[in-house]
Amino acid sequence: MRSLIGIIVWKELREIRRDPITMAVAVVLPLLMLYLFGSALSLDVKDASFAVYDQDRSAASRALIERFPQSGYFKRTHDIRAEGEIAELLDRGRARLVLIIPPGFAQKLARGETAEVQALADGSYSTTAMVILGYAEAITQSYALEQMRERLAAQGRAAPLVPVQVESRVWFNASLASVNYIVPGLLGVILMAFPPLLTALAVVREKEAGSVQQIFVSPIRPYEFIAGKMIPYAVIAFFEMLMILAAGLWWFHIPFLGSFPLFLAATAIYVFCTVGIGLLISSVTRSQLVAMLLSLLATLMPSFLFSGFLFPIYTMPMMLQLYTYLFPARYFIEISRGIVMKDVGLAVLWPQLLALLLYTALVFVMTTRLFRKKVA
Amino acid sequence: MARYGRLAALMRKELIQFLRARAMLALILYLYTVEIIMCTYAMSFDVRNLPTAFMDRARSAESRALVQDFGSSGYFKITHTAATDAEVAALLDRGEVLAAVVIPPEFSRQLAQGVPTSVQLLLDGSNANAASVAQGYAQRIVQNFALQRAPPPFMADQPAVELRPRVWYNSELDYRHFMVLSMMALAGMMVGMITAAAGIVREKESGTVEQLLVTPVSPGEMIAAKMLPPLLFCLLALFSSLLVAAVFGVPLRGSLALFMLFSAVFLLSGMGIGILLGVIADTLQQALLISFLVLFPVLFLSGTIVPLESMPPGLQYLAEASPLRHYMDAVLGLFLKGVGLDVLWPRLAAMLAIGAALLALSVWRFRRYLG
Repeated sequence: MRSLIGIIVWKELREIRRDPITMAVAVVLPLLMLYLFGSALSLDVKDASFAVYDQDRSAASRALIERFPQSGYFKRTHDIRAEGEIAELLDRGRARLVLIIPPGFAQKLARGETAEVQALADGSYSTTAMVILGYAEAITQSYALEQMRERLAAQGRAAPLVPVQVESRVWFNASLASVNYIVPGLLGVILMAFPPLLTALAVVREKEAGSVQQIFVSPIRPYEFIAGKMIPYAVIAFFEMLMILAAGLWWFHIPFLGSFPLFLAATAIYVFCTVGIGLLISSVTRSQLVAMLLSLLATLMPSFLFSGFLFPIYTMPMMLQLYTYLFPARYFIEISRGIVMKDVGLAVLWPQLLALLLYTALVFVMTTRLFRKKVA
Repeated sequence: MARYGRLAALMRKELIQFLRARAMLALILYLYTVEIIMCTYAMSFDVRNLPTAFMDRARSAESRALVQDFGSSGYFKITHTAATDAEVAALLDRGEVLAAVVIPPEFSRQLAQGVPTSVQLLLDGSNANAASVAQGYAQRIVQNFALQRAPPPFMADQPAVELRPRVWYNSELDYRHFMVLSMMALAGMMVGMITAAAGIVREKESGTVEQLLVTPVSPGEMIAAKMLPPLLFCLLALFSSLLVAAVFGVPLRGSLALFMLFSAVFLLSGMGIGILLGVIADTLQQALLISFLVLFPVLFLSGTIVPLESMPPGLQYLAEASPLRHYMDAVLGLFLKGVGLDVLWPRLAAMLAIGAALLALSVWRFRRYLG
């Protein structure tokens, strides 16, 4: 019995060895994603181009303007001399922010009135616009505070106090480094991206070539065929997981707080689940192209979009929040972040683990049923 | 004459083959409609309805007002109230809340006495970006509260300088406007790459390349015939996503014809990548896996997930080589800014150059493969 499974495993391994490109992609893509998401996933903007329309031309206006490039967030690229130039600069994307200081700015300041300045932001890249406006507001505010302090000091009054302060503390990721949450999340995405796809293709390839009929008339039983197809990819998936984790620990130096055995156990269940989904896809498709498209839509995309990997689930509309429960990546990422970042154990994570187990069992029941029907 | 007849026949064959692949057609339509809608709702770093616990130790009118301010901001959703530190810790551990606000017992007394006081904010950092966004929101809520409710001697003088922000092109800063458009661009990229790569590889896998080789068809003609049907279908499918954009309230301020022109050039350059992959790969599986490998950096370098300006300079230069980055800029310009060719021509030129380079490379590799 066992030797029959072994034969199929061996045959599959030979096919994998003949296709170095597939293996190369399976190794390079996770590392590439780790690098991009781990090192470039920040919404901070540096050196945003900004233009100045200084209609006041006073020492005070220049002092305010100077603060923008000094902050490190802005780079002064243009000086505007006429109203008409503003639209041109924003239209062409040459400036992300235009600062307009109206005439009378210094006078108002001197008289103790509120002096207004205008900031025009290019909202086409809305995230950038939001971040940049936040910076501009903070810079202006700190300038205003200084002015007020001077004003009050001149009147012989004490500086104003800040009545309520927010003392914020970040748990589980005190440095707010994105790579710390990317690594445990990426495992959920990568294990869902490759193993199911490769498993599905391994079976569908035989269907396309017609060789699956030969297997079904041979003494090999469906479950042996399934196990033989599954084991090599499950092993590959497990190694992929170890590789990402190693890169995270030694390349990006993320902390691993929780229990490693529990983590391995959860990953093992998840790998079986993803490979099982691949088999399920293969049992309902007949061509490689369809199998690929289906796994793209049923595994890769949801695990990227609807797992909480990057985008918070609680922000989504209710319908989509419910939709996320349909995909196992969500449960696994909660488990993996729980163990790696929060150091919580079974006592906290049992609901997610149970969901993952039930999910995996369901996938296998459905797969064997569908396969048996095919054979009969 | 014979040449045109030949090309026409070839195109007819490709068109029939293309239309027969129902799954592919369905996928294209799916990507151009459902996927755009889902991504637009899902792909946001913005924080809304963050599940939050409150521990109010002051139990005063002021502290209740602050709780109210948090709850009605829309950014935080008060889901739990906690009585002890241990409860707060348990809620955070279990992930039931991602933030906790703790108001100290002396909060109201200190406010009344004119002594600066503080509230504590605990954040779950297991999504670092969301946590830092939420931190900013909390600070703003507390600041506003302090300005409105703090009794004298805090009542600040009116501010010396006030910034009046105004946002052009997207005055509400609706993130979805940006997302719909960038997903539209991404759909074109995926479809262009995958259809083109699959088209070439299928011919190689089934061995029909050799048959075509003995006909007078040139590699360039074959590639052209492969590209036309998906190009036409994608341009048609684009109208369905225009509908989606309209539903989301995204204005088309520029010219529709110009948008179609840009889209056609963009699709051609995206297909250029696909054709090159198809020429390099031996099997459909390889072609698709390599397209994944290319798609991820291309998506990342388009500024869809993270603004390009936030990236290291090296990556910003690299992004210039991606047709998606140029198309995104053009699409945002055409839809939101309403600018025309006088502003956008460098984007068109860049896409044409990238597309031409890719196709030249593909034809060259293909000749070598056939020869």
